[in-house]
Amino acid sequence: MTVREIIKRFTFIEIFQGMALTLKKMFSHAVTIQYPKERRHIAPGFRGLHALAKNPVTGQTKCVGCGLCAAICPSQCITIKRGNGKVQDYEIEVLRCIYCGFCVEACPYGAIAMTENYEYSEYKRSDLLMNKEKLLANWDKSMPDKKGEEYFKKFWRPMSDDFGTPRDQSSFRGKQQ
Amino acid sequence: MDIANAIDPKMIDAIIRFGLEVLIILIKIVVVLAIGLLHVAYATYFERKVIGHMQVRLGPMRVGPHGLLQPFADGIKLFFKEDIIPANADKVVFYIAPIIFMAASMVNLSVIPFSYSFTIADFKISPVIADINIGLLFIFAMAGIGVYGIFIAGWASNSKYAFLGGLRSAAQVISYEIAMGLSLVGVMIMAGSLNLTDIVRAQEESVFGMFAIPQIVGFVVFTIAAVAETNRTPFDMPEAESELVAGYFTEYSGFRFAEFFLGEYIAMIIMASMATICFLGGWTLPWYILSVLPFLKMVPGIVWFLMKAYAFFFFYYWIRATLPRYRYDQVMAIGWKILIPVALANILVTGLVKIIITTLHGA
Repeated sequence: MTVREIIKRFTFIEIFQGMALTLKKMFSHAVTIQYPKERRHIAPGFRGLHALAKNPVTGQTKCVGCGLCAAICPSQCITIKRGNGKVQDYEIEVLRCIYCGFCVEACPYGAIAMTENYEYSEYKRSDLLMNKEKLLANWDKSMPDKKGEEYFKKFWRPMSDDFGTPRDQSSFRGKQQ
Repeated sequence: MDIANAIDPKMIDAIIRFGLEVLIILIKIVVVLAIGLLHVAYATYFERKVIGHMQVRLGPMRVGPHGLLQPFADGIKLFFKEDIIPANADKVVFYIAPIIFMAASMVNLSVIPFSYSFTIADFKISPVIADINIGLLFIFAMAGIGVYGIFIAGWASNSKYAFLGGLRSAAQVISYEIAMGLSLVGVMIMAGSLNLTDIVRAQEESVFGMFAIPQIVGFVVFTIAAVAETNRTPFDMPEAESELVAGYFTEYSGFRFAEFFLGEYIAMIIMASMATICFLGGWTLPWYILSVLPFLKMVPGIVWFLMKAYAFFFFYYWIRATLPRYRYDQVMAIGWKILIPVALANILVTGLVKIIITTLHGA
């Protein structure tokens, strides 16, 4: 042991340095967010609970039931039930969702969105199985008025915006509800 | 026969006086116990707050404004919790252990003097329940008995964690008690008394004002030994959470656990008071401070006593927030290979200086 080490050990210098640090930190600002009273700032484009976008004219869902979202979903939590040329039901098992946002990216019509709502705990599993009605209600709750439109423009840009077919070309556009 | 003459009026006076003395002692006990327990409650609160802020958290915030009622919430919770006794525990010993531990540390409160003595209607009241001449030895003895509580609890629980915690505690407290006792011998030599009030008086009259200056080595040894003696971080081997769950009180729940908790915090209060009385000058201020700022004489002594004790308490929290736990062999090595030789050398030097001074001044 060198003289330096002996002096270091017997004067507790390193301990005092550590104590100076803790004392300094004691007078710094705590990083705690007191959750129910204070909330963390939600970043724009936050990926929270899903919602089905509503057509502002008809008030119906924009979804055409093409099934691209269900196909791309990594955890396969989306089930679409079709019948009579309509989307009968659209189910998302929220508990299995990993919030990757692929469904929103895949949708050519901008029909599915992820809202900023992250507080939706329930007591029963069945309450967290979202069906079409619940998902449409989520849209009304979390994406009112212009907010939903801006959400798509800013963060997702549905493929139809970029690669939209010419008006005169035949397409299944007529089926859109 | 005249009844009034049957008893001597002097004797009635004596009896009344005796009754009043007893009443004063009872009041003192109630006051000291109540204030002591309140200090324990808020010691836990401030520990959580201070450590929280040192770790850039907030600490308790929910119960009452800034969590001020948290200790009461904790107390009520502990009081109403189910009292679980392990099936294979040694029942009687299991019941007795926390009582021994708590009683051994609470009894110490009776010999701690808090301030100057004062007079109310020709009763001289000294703010100490029992002003005994061997106060310092009494505290050592009681600390020694407290180990029995810990060790018995560890043994009676019939659990490996509790047992290891109890063994560790016994080894640690016994080793560090030697170092602590030896570190205080320097104070005894300088004060020439074991009475705690006399020790404070000796500091008031000494050149330095407090023994922490001439006895700095003893003070450092005492501080380290006091932390180890009360089983606090960085010497919390007996209750090492990451190794032994909670150590010797792993199997205790509800109010029995609260008794251990109380005992531990009162032991901390005792250690802080001991440091205040033996090294920091108790309720007095050094004469050189008083000569510069004479108006400080107006402040009652209890304020200085509490401020010094709180500072020592804060030190406890501070090192808990800073330092990691020592390894077991390191704890033993520090105690036996460093603290005890250093304390012995301190005694030697103090004794030599005392002899030189007394021969120069002529007894």
